[in-house]
Amino acid sequence: MKKITIFIVLILPFLSFAQETDTDTENNTVFSQFLNNLSGNLETNAQWYTNDSKLGEFEDPIAEFDLRDEQVRVNSYLRLDYNFLKNFSVGLQAESYEPLPLINYYPEYNDTQIATYYANFRNKTLDVTAGYFYEQFGSGVLLRAFEERQLGLNTVLRGGRIKYTPTDYLDVTALYGQQRVAFDVSESDIFGFDANFDISKVIEIKGVNRLNLGLSYVGKKEDFTPPVDEFDPSYEFDTTDFPEMINSYSARLDVDFGNVYFKTEYALKGEDVSFIPPALPGTGVIEGKYFDGNALIFTAGYSKKGLGISSTFRRLENMVSTAERNAKDISSLEFQFNMQNLNYLPTLTKQQDYSLANIYIYNVQPGLFLQNFGGQAGEIGNIVDVFYNFKKGSTLGGKYGTKFTANFAYWALLDAEFDQAESTYSAEFLKFGKRLNRDFNFEVRKKLSKNWSSIFTYINSIVDKGVALGGNLGTDGDIKSQVAIVDVTHKLDSGKSIRMEAQHLWTKQDRKNWVGGTIEYVANRRLAFYVSDIYDYGNDNEFSTETKAHYYNVGGSYTKGATRIALNYGRQRGGLLCVGGVCRIVPENTGLTLNLSTSF
Amino acid sequence: MKQFFYLLVLLLSINITAQETLPSAEIKTLDGTSTSLQELGKNNDIIVISLWATWCVPCKNELDAINDVYTDWQDETGVKVYAVSVDDSRTVSRVKPLVNGKAWDFEILLDTNNDLKRELGAATVPLTLIIKNGKIVYRHSGYTPGAEDELFEEIKKHS
Repeated sequence: MKKITIFIVLILPFLSFAQETDTDTENNTVFSQFLNNLSGNLETNAQWYTNDSKLGEFEDPIAEFDLRDEQVRVNSYLRLDYNFLKNFSVGLQAESYEPLPLINYYPEYNDTQIATYYANFRNKTLDVTAGYFYEQFGSGVLLRAFEERQLGLNTVLRGGRIKYTPTDYLDVTALYGQQRVAFDVSESDIFGFDANFDISKVIEIKGVNRLNLGLSYVGKKEDFTPPVDEFDPSYEFDTTDFPEMINSYSARLDVDFGNVYFKTEYALKGEDVSFIPPALPGTGVIEGKYFDGNALIFTAGYSKKGLGISSTFRRLENMVSTAERNAKDISSLEFQFNMQNLNYLPTLTKQQDYSLANIYIYNVQPGLFLQNFGGQAGEIGNIVDVFYNFKKGSTLGGKYGTKFTANFAYWALLDAEFDQAESTYSAEFLKFGKRLNRDFNFEVRKKLSKNWSSIFTYINSIVDKGVALGGNLGTDGDIKSQVAIVDVTHKLDSGKSIRMEAQHLWTKQDRKNWVGGTIEYVANRRLAFYVSDIYDYGNDNEFSTETKAHYYNVGGSYTKGATRIALNYGRQRGGLLCVGGVCRIVPENTGLTLNLSTSF
Repeated sequence: MKQFFYLLVLLLSINITAQETLPSAEIKTLDGTSTSLQELGKNNDIIVISLWATWCVPCKNELDAINDVYTDWQDETGVKVYAVSVDDSRTVSRVKPLVNGKAWDFEILLDTNNDLKRELGAATVPLTLIIKNGKIVYRHSGYTPGAEDELFEEIKKHS
């Protein structure tokens, strides 16, 4: 607690400086010039984990930590950028996880260090970076280096990158790097090349607004030391044809006819090893057989004023790609924490906003697991979104208009046959295997009067038990659920408002029915408070380890200029936590949370 | 931990002024043309930037509210609103149909790998900026009902 107090004291002076827009009196010294070119931001997330009468004493879920029961933990990020001589910039990001990272974070985040740094030169045609850089090729199916602080993901590359844009219809990128892994980098080398041609800028095609072709290459080189068979140390692993170098390619095409548009991407991932679960005999990897992967994404859309429709079909076969091959092993800590992913394969279902809508959700299944379960090779499915605006004055539109959204998603395992004795498999191209997810979402936004507005949501979903709760896929049955949510906002005078949210979830499986509610009071645009609770009142599972529990939360936030402080106390529901399409199972916990962010 | 505090104290000891230079991160228009806040700031007198996402309820509330009064704002001040989506490739294909479905009149930009979001240090969305003559003169994160009126007061102050 002492540490938090110190922190707050340290932070308070920031508030007075953070948004001093009054720069008239500024004297034009070298120092103030320096400050003018300096910008940065700070984010701190602190948590004090408390013991809970219902959940028990606080205990870190990872046994490895010496100080595992440390109850106060602070994650901080400080980023600084400095621009000079018109075309140059340098910067760094310092990170601190003290005394330990928040629970749910990869345990190697346990220090205070300068985590990333860069130097960059940029003019109209050239953009050169040395140091750490973020990048994404196409939709990220082969390469995406990105940061997601909420999950402790940072796959930034350390090396060098050149982007060259000689004309307005062509740009090329070449890069080399090693992927960041906590405060270290991966023991593999990543090479990348990407080119985009804007064909519609070269030749004019009637009716075509945009025609864009993209080509990518990603190579990964990692040395291989043959593993030793524990039970037969004299056995020699046959390294003939072992894929130390993996070459992957992708091509994509975007066509836009105005109202109608198409986007497609196909990727071919080079041959890589497949792992054997630790319970089975052998050296951990399948010997002598290596497997390539592929991905196909196709989006079609139609939109005009007041109406939008988008549909995305995606098929992923053996597409898990990691900076070091060991991170592909599902028994590794890296796999469990989604660390070292080289590509980005988001779950394509609707990203849910409300707490009860986030309990039984789907998680993408792109990997090949030949020897695990009954074998699985990837996923196939489709997502459709419809947006419609009922005009003001129409029957359904009323005085203010009505906004309607519908979403449908269906995902299944690839239909494939596995020969586990021979370590081979064959997957059908366009055939759906066992269903893993099917959901409908409807949302209606309606302004009722000058001061009342509302959002109604209905969700009907079926998700495989193994996906939602962890376990074998396609064998343990489904969880069928329905969720209804009413969210009403009432605007009061002088910036005050009150928002009320009522939620209900119906299901006969797992923890049965849930009910939930939130009340939020906005005192002014700077200060807001809320209280919320969700409760599995229907839970009558006699043998359930999870008994009925209220997951209550109460908190407030204060925002001034570029600074925001939020304080929250409550009990968090465990389960699948998904941020930006990446999901991880997190434990339940109770405690006090402080979030602070500011920029200057 | 200690080093970090020293760094903080150092920062506090120098009287920090608001960010002057505009972020140089590359963002794209819906038809794929590259631009940046620096360029937008250069070519326009006064603009409003709103960082939003298709999955963010308060963001959509804010843009819906601004859209209702956008014509009046433009008539009075000539302000231009740019809505920069931070949707990544999971949800970016929903941006165009959503914008059309909602009949928004803003210029839409994409920050698909969140380069701009990182450079601005936007821990949360929505984040709203007013840029005047190439400088950020106002910054606010979060949206509360009615906040669009105060935003307009700020715009009028600077126009």
